[in-house]
Amino acid sequence: MAKPRNRSPHYTKSLCLFVLSFGLHGAEICGQETHPDDLQQRCAAICQPGDAPWRSVPWQTDLLQAQHLAVEQGKPIFIWAMDGHPLGCT
Amino acid sequence: MLDRESTFADPTILELLKTQFIPVALDQWYTRRQQDTEGEFYRRIAGQGPRSDFNRTTQGLYIADAAGTLIAFNNNRGPERIRALLEKAVADYDSPDATPIVREKTDPRFAPRLPDGAVVVRTHAKVLSGYEPTDDRWQQIFQSAVSRDNLWITADEQRQLAAGEMPESLRLRIARFHLVDDTRGEPPTWRREEIRQFDVELNNGTISGKFRLETADQARGFEGTLRGVLAVESGKLTQFELLAEGNFWGTGTFTMQPPAGKFPLAIAFRLADGGDIADGIPPHASRGWVEGYWHPER
Repeated sequence: MAKPRNRSPHYTKSLCLFVLSFGLHGAEICGQETHPDDLQQRCAAICQPGDAPWRSVPWQTDLLQAQHLAVEQGKPIFIWAMDGHPLGCT
Repeated sequence: MLDRESTFADPTILELLKTQFIPVALDQWYTRRQQDTEGEFYRRIAGQGPRSDFNRTTQGLYIADAAGTLIAFNNNRGPERIRALLEKAVADYDSPDATPIVREKTDPRFAPRLPDGAVVVRTHAKVLSGYEPTDDRWQQIFQSAVSRDNLWITADEQRQLAAGEMPESLRLRIARFHLVDDTRGEPPTWRREEIRQFDVELNNGTISGKFRLETADQARGFEGTLRGVLAVESGKLTQFELLAEGNFWGTGTFTMQPPAGKFPLAIAFRLADGGDIADGIPPHASRGWVEGYWHPER
């Protein structure tokens, strides 16, 4: 049965914080007592910040699309080629 | 991982990439294999560099012009070196007389696409503690790393979730492919028989459970709990929040130097909103065998 979407401000304020609160509040995890005051810090430690500097670059993910833009703008192409996707797991 | 925190954290490099280059990020495991127009263009560029054996990795940083002429290659880390490389390329750049390449062929083997109605869930893993203190800059980056991958959930699986059922395919997909330590590189996934326990309940939109994954030789394992919530509206997930946390041990070929013994690992799952370009990246475990990703029971 589908659960109605909870639109409480407590949910929208920080989804990740909610998850951690839900999962860790007062719980003993990994052999260490987790204090509620630690939750926000732990959330920040797990969830990748959206403003990491490398994310400010307008990365293309299609080399041909990049080639089209290079023709159009008269710029060289910079390719970040990794084992695993550089924007994801690597 | 290292590049993000070193080369691509340098303000000058970022400004150069944003203003003077067309930056593109690729998983070259795909691109060097692709028997299609994009793959041909990539091999044309990479083949001019030192990594021209396309049966092996061609990992690195390349600068090329729109005609496919390689200007520079580097696979060393360090902002100073890359900054100098970029500045020289800009100073010397002479835009060629090139036309947009028409995409005549796409290799379906290496172009996994999110099916109609499927959704993307972002996953982030973090080692919470256990590393020995170090002054080594690169090790510090690994030790504080937060990984990023995507979990794909099909339309049919969402319908089952809406009915209050945890689909077996989703249960196995999460266990085998997403309860991994990918904070130091590409992780090994789990064989089906390595799922020793994966008891998960879905009750009125609340997810709870316990899991234990372990290799036969007991050299690698992950044991912990699952907690989360989900919501489905009109057959589509509108909320999916899940936290897997427990003790991990062991390593893989590309995830060396974990903390000693068992260490706490947390993996957070959150429904993607499409606002991040990385939301479009296929799950790492789908690489090379997307059917296996969709059918983890195989």
